[in-house]
Amino acid sequence: MPKDLNHNICKETVFERIYNKYSKDLHNYLYYKYGAQLNPNDKAQDAFIKLWDNCKKVTIDKAKSFLFTVANNMMLNEIKHQKVVLKHQKTNPKDYTNETPEFILEKEQFLERYTIALSNLNEEQRVAFLLNKVEGKKHNEIADMLGITKKVVEYRIYTAYNKLKTELEGFKI
Amino acid sequence: MDKEYLIEKWLKDELSDAEKEAFKKLDDYQFNMDIIENAKHFKASHFSEINNYNVFKKRYDKQNTPVVKLNWVRPLLKIASVVVITLGIYFTFFFNNLTKVQTLASEKTIIELPDQSQVTLNALSFIKYNKRNWDDNRSLKLDGEAYFKVAKGKKFDIITHDGIVTVVGTQFNVKQRNNYFEVTCFEGVVRVSSDTITRQLMAGDSYRIINNIFSQNKTTSVIPSWTNNISSFEGVTIKEVVAELERQYNIRVTFKNVNTERLFSGGFIHNNLESALISITQPMNMTYELSKSGQVIIHGKKN
Repeated sequence: MPKDLNHNICKETVFERIYNKYSKDLHNYLYYKYGAQLNPNDKAQDAFIKLWDNCKKVTIDKAKSFLFTVANNMMLNEIKHQKVVLKHQKTNPKDYTNETPEFILEKEQFLERYTIALSNLNEEQRVAFLLNKVEGKKHNEIADMLGITKKVVEYRIYTAYNKLKTELEGFKI
Repeated sequence: MDKEYLIEKWLKDELSDAEKEAFKKLDDYQFNMDIIENAKHFKASHFSEINNYNVFKKRYDKQNTPVVKLNWVRPLLKIASVVVITLGIYFTFFFNNLTKVQTLASEKTIIELPDQSQVTLNALSFIKYNKRNWDDNRSLKLDGEAYFKVAKGKKFDIITHDGIVTVVGTQFNVKQRNNYFEVTCFEGVVRVSSDTITRQLMAGDSYRIINNIFSQNKTTSVIPSWTNNISSFEGVTIKEVVAELERQYNIRVTFKNVNTERLFSGGFIHNNLESALISITQPMNMTYELSKSGQVIIHGKKN
């Protein structure tokens, strides 16, 4: 019998709390790193399933790193050199009523270029960049999530940004 | 201020007010803003989302029930396979299709072998043979005494502790008791080998090794007398004669004042103990005592 019942993941209320706490971040991490093709929703849930199956062996404070490691490995097992394809949301023309068709087309091309540039980024750089700039996660939060230092996070974001900038040079106004 | 320095700090969200102003004045300020602004188009939640807890739980439960169902099948199969393998090994090595026949004291029996050879077993005797490949290999183990009528065919071997008897279509008697090995041929040819002594016996010949002493004799009988419920002996120790009496009647005999190495020639019947005792003791100048519980004491007369 575990000493501290409140810290036992096997207890459903505790597990549910953990699920609600980490599921979104885990999913987003997988999505940004590996794209939508490999079904980040399923993989993230599979990682939680594994956590529950192993609930006796994992303590609460180790739960997060367990989830991220397991989910990552599941993805890697499936990948086999598939190219990551992120989607970008097509801009809704209705939002830009005062824009000319040329502008809209250019915007579309810009976003397509952006998509490719993101796909070409090193996985780690892409994840750090998107978690920070799209999800609004702070550097130290990202560092905690990925098990790296804040300095490394800063470096990855900086490098990612410069690469994007180079790729998108042509669209500079 | 250095452009790269400003951009670095901007990315870290650590610009001071003065630095913010300088950043806005950079020539690619708009471009920088566009890149970051448009990153929002790639937000994960526009394309993919993780299920909430309730949906997850349903999925988990669904996944787990089939596993639980099979959980008892697997261990059951494991146990079953162990049982099957154990039985397989047992039957291959130990069971081995061996037919065993054992007679008890005062019991005789006749066995027919797969090739129609006949074996008559005397009391307290035991044979073992493989029924399945009998036609290819006629070989049996004998412990005790048996009379054989061997059908013509391939070589027939009787393996005893003290020697091997090999025949091809004959009738002969093999007796193997404690320190007593005797083969008598009644018909045909029998080869007997024990240690270094090998002899070929014709009808009427007998081969004996008693207490490690070899002797050859002749007999005029056509079949061993015990198959007719009479035991007969020619120059055999009282010890051995009484041992046979014990086997035929399922009794124990104790000696008082008797030299059991004395040689006896004669016989006794198998169906009347008193008569048998008289047959043995009288010619040897001995007396006997028969108690109600079946115990027999043989006394030697003092000379």
